[in-house]
Amino acid sequence: MLSGEETQILATSLWVAGNAVLWSLPLAVMAAFALSRHFPGKLALESVTHLPIILPPVLVGFVLLMLLGQRGPIGGALAGAGIHLAFTAKGAALATAVMTFPVFVRSIRLAFEATDRNLFEAAAVLRAGALDRFVSIALPLAGPGILAGMVMAFATALGEFGAVITFAANIPGQTQTLPLAIYAVLQQPGGESEAMQLAGLSFGLAMLGLAAAALLQRWAGRRLAG
Amino acid sequence: MKSLDADIELKQGAFHLRARFSAPAESITVLFGPSGSGKSTLLSLLAGLRKPDRGSIRLGGADIHNLAAHRRGIGLVFQDARLFPHLTVRRNIAYAARRAPPGGLSIEDAARFFDIAALLDRPVGNLSGGEKSRVALARALAARPDFLLLDEPFAALDGIRRRTFIAVLLDLHRVHKLPVLVVTHNIDDAAALGSHLVALQAGAVVATGDFATASRQPAFQSILDERDTGAAISSQALQAASDNRRNAIWLRADQVLLASQEPHGLSARNVLEGLVSALWPENNQSVLVEVAATAGHLLARVTPQAARELALAPGRPVWAIAKAHLL
Repeated sequence: MLSGEETQILATSLWVAGNAVLWSLPLAVMAAFALSRHFPGKLALESVTHLPIILPPVLVGFVLLMLLGQRGPIGGALAGAGIHLAFTAKGAALATAVMTFPVFVRSIRLAFEATDRNLFEAAAVLRAGALDRFVSIALPLAGPGILAGMVMAFATALGEFGAVITFAANIPGQTQTLPLAIYAVLQQPGGESEAMQLAGLSFGLAMLGLAAAALLQRWAGRRLAG
Repeated sequence: MKSLDADIELKQGAFHLRARFSAPAESITVLFGPSGSGKSTLLSLLAGLRKPDRGSIRLGGADIHNLAAHRRGIGLVFQDARLFPHLTVRRNIAYAARRAPPGGLSIEDAARFFDIAALLDRPVGNLSGGEKSRVALARALAARPDFLLLDEPFAALDGIRRRTFIAVLLDLHRVHKLPVLVVTHNIDDAAALGSHLVALQAGAVVATGDFATASRQPAFQSILDERDTGAAISSQALQAASDNRRNAIWLRADQVLLASQEPHGLSARNVLEGLVSALWPENNQSVLVEVAATAGHLLARVTPQAARELALAPGRPVWAIAKAHLL
């Protein structure tokens, strides 16, 4: 059974990962759809999307802090409106969203790319405009793939560390997610058994996420095959 | 009803398409040509799925070549049906009906017309080729196009299904007053459907006009396989063994016998009296004889020896004979 403290850590982790996925979903879908087409500037968008993979997570956290911290250009304005991101759970979700964005976009993009392009031509000659075709054909056909991407992004989000600890710190009950809690207990002498317990929990969640993503992907394949 | 007039040009690598033709509103126009002649590319240009390098496309007099595909009011039925896999048959048709101008056929009526009422609530994944074609046609009709393009709609069909489908297309044109342009490379289908002809070879229009007249032009005959040389004769003027509905029957020159006197006691059901109007020696083995009969001009292929023995020459009365079972 989980202790009260562990339940708290698990809840924080699920809240942060869940919010990270939900709030980045619209942007990820748009970026993925754009990247599944050909357009001028595609390479630039592709590079920006992949940036979090190649940058050190600590650096991403630092950049977020510079921009969105109390004294940052955006953070200052947000603070005026009563919105605080740095060192809060919302901030942890934001940092997590930025870090998982490349994985998220990639799996959704695969779903859009697997869709038969000819169907869009068929829809166009049935009087459907571009936005209409996106909503009525592209989205429903990629739906299972998008869902699989969400699960995959969620599983990845549960493991985010560097950017989160830099931007949101490691505050128990607020921003302390599973990997941050493992790190914290390892800093204390004799914390290994507690760390093992948390590691097991983390591993179980990740496995569950992978299995769910695989099942959804298979469903998506069957659906596209018609 | 609106007619379609096109004058378009497209260069694509070594391929050069330059097509200028009209498809009259009251006709079924057949776009005929060997594979690789640019038929499907031409349909994409007309429907707005591709842009020509230059030219104009007029629908009922209005220039539509700058309009996006979904604003043209031109329907297109693809060879591979392209039904939406995430929707049932009913919802595929409803997809078009919802976006159509008001006053169209109900989904049930469209389904009844194409004999697919029993399929309405099925997913499209497990339909047969013929069923898919008919659903695609019902869906195209539900969008209420001003002009309908069909890209080899019989490709997936054979035998009796093909002949039934031709009858359905003739009905579609007649009952729904819908101008149609249909692509085919099969001369029997072309004659069965077409009242107007546009023949394409290597991207250029080589013959166009009223089907029976345009199909007699040497430029048209030259794109046919040698064994398909022939002429379109109104199906009312001939007795065929099958009772398929069709506009005309393609009477191949190799299916026609000529007699210099009125024949008696023949099993053949079709004996057409006419006058030789022209002779074209093809090579050492054959002569093509054009006969002007009341039913129209027809062609017969005979040996040079037979042409000599029958003293075939322009103005000579002859009787052309064709078996009903060959038609």
